[in-house]
Amino acid sequence: MKYFKYIKLLITILFIVTTSCEKDDICSEETLTTPRLFIEFYDISNHESLKNIFNFRAQGVGNEDVLTGYNLVTSSQVLLPLKTTEGVTQYMLHNDYGIDDNGTPNDTTDDIITGNEDIITIAYNTEEVYVSRACGFKTVFTNITVTVEDDGDKWILIILPTNDNQSVIDETAIHFKIFH
Amino acid sequence: MLLFCVSVHAQNDSIIKPINESTKIKQKYGIRLGGDFSKIVRTLIDEDYKGFEIQGDFRLTNKWYLAGEIGAEEKTGSNDFLNATAKGTYFKVGSDYNFYKNWFGMENMIYGGLRIGFSTFSQTLNSFGIYSQNQYWAPQFTSDIAQEFSGLTALWSEIIIGLKAELLNNLYIGVNIQFKGMINQDQPENFENLYVPGFNRTHDSGRFGFGYSYNISYLIPLYKKEK
Repeated sequence: MKYFKYIKLLITILFIVTTSCEKDDICSEETLTTPRLFIEFYDISNHESLKNIFNFRAQGVGNEDVLTGYNLVTSSQVLLPLKTTEGVTQYMLHNDYGIDDNGTPNDTTDDIITGNEDIITIAYNTEEVYVSRACGFKTVFTNITVTVEDDGDKWILIILPTNDNQSVIDETAIHFKIFH
Repeated sequence: MLLFCVSVHAQNDSIIKPINESTKIKQKYGIRLGGDFSKIVRTLIDEDYKGFEIQGDFRLTNKWYLAGEIGAEEKTGSNDFLNATAKGTYFKVGSDYNFYKNWFGMENMIYGGLRIGFSTFSQTLNSFGIYSQNQYWAPQFTSDIAQEFSGLTALWSEIIIGLKAELLNNLYIGVNIQFKGMINQDQPENFENLYVPGFNRTHDSGRFGFGYSYNISYLIPLYKKEK
């Protein structure tokens, strides 16, 4: 009977080993994966101080949805996700967004969008970096440039990277400053 | 597994206790050769796995055995973001110590073992996808271009606990579990070893690994000796 006891112990250990939960397979929310572009808005007349934008709205060019968290907010910063499939991402950054319904709230066809919209173009190289077995790879962005289209009525006056040859490796520090 | 337990159990009951403790017991010494049949079964039923292992031991003393294994494995693992294949060969050498005090005429083992394992292998990243917490621009970049990292090696140590029972004359059936600790391994550039042949799956949280074996082996008796 002594033998039998050993076998039972062995089976139990074997069972625990083969069925134990494999947490390595779940990508934790805290893992640093693909970073977003971090931009802060500064005062053109005082380069040291942040300046809020009111009724700020951000939407990707070619994307049907407004960027989550940036629909009519007051903010002095924005985190923009970049496309990992191509080297250019464009955003419509709308300052003081509003809708003038022309006195006909039920008829949306004659609505006029008020405020000032500028389109920025972010160009970059992508690089795929291994993270872990659960998260796979992340994309980091190098040689980033941010430019604004001149529509004759820009609210974005100057765009400056915080470093030469700016890269986006993580989201912990700002990457670009926009002066307005 | 159940069959195995029952058969071993039955064996015990059918044996009469030694009549005289001082009876001279002659034990068989020789080379025992066998294989891991769980790897064969897995090769047949799991399309992501191919492998085999040949095992051998040589009895040095009443309790000590020189033991080793050689094998080859090919394992593909995948999840939502990665698909990779490890392929290679390995060998392990070490010793087993039999803790079990056999009744008269029996030569079963409950043993502990130590091994050093060495593998040469390749790691192929078949495909991957980009992970992004933010899915504003979905889908993310994916790649199906296979990248092979070859000429990798790994060295590890093992502690084994197992048993072997003589089912028929000189024919043994056994099971063991292996606790492994990685000593050194080559990691592919911008990737990592997810599986190492012989070591099995690696873990993010440490250098440890696990393995098991269901084996069948045959003893080629060379000579008999009193304990």
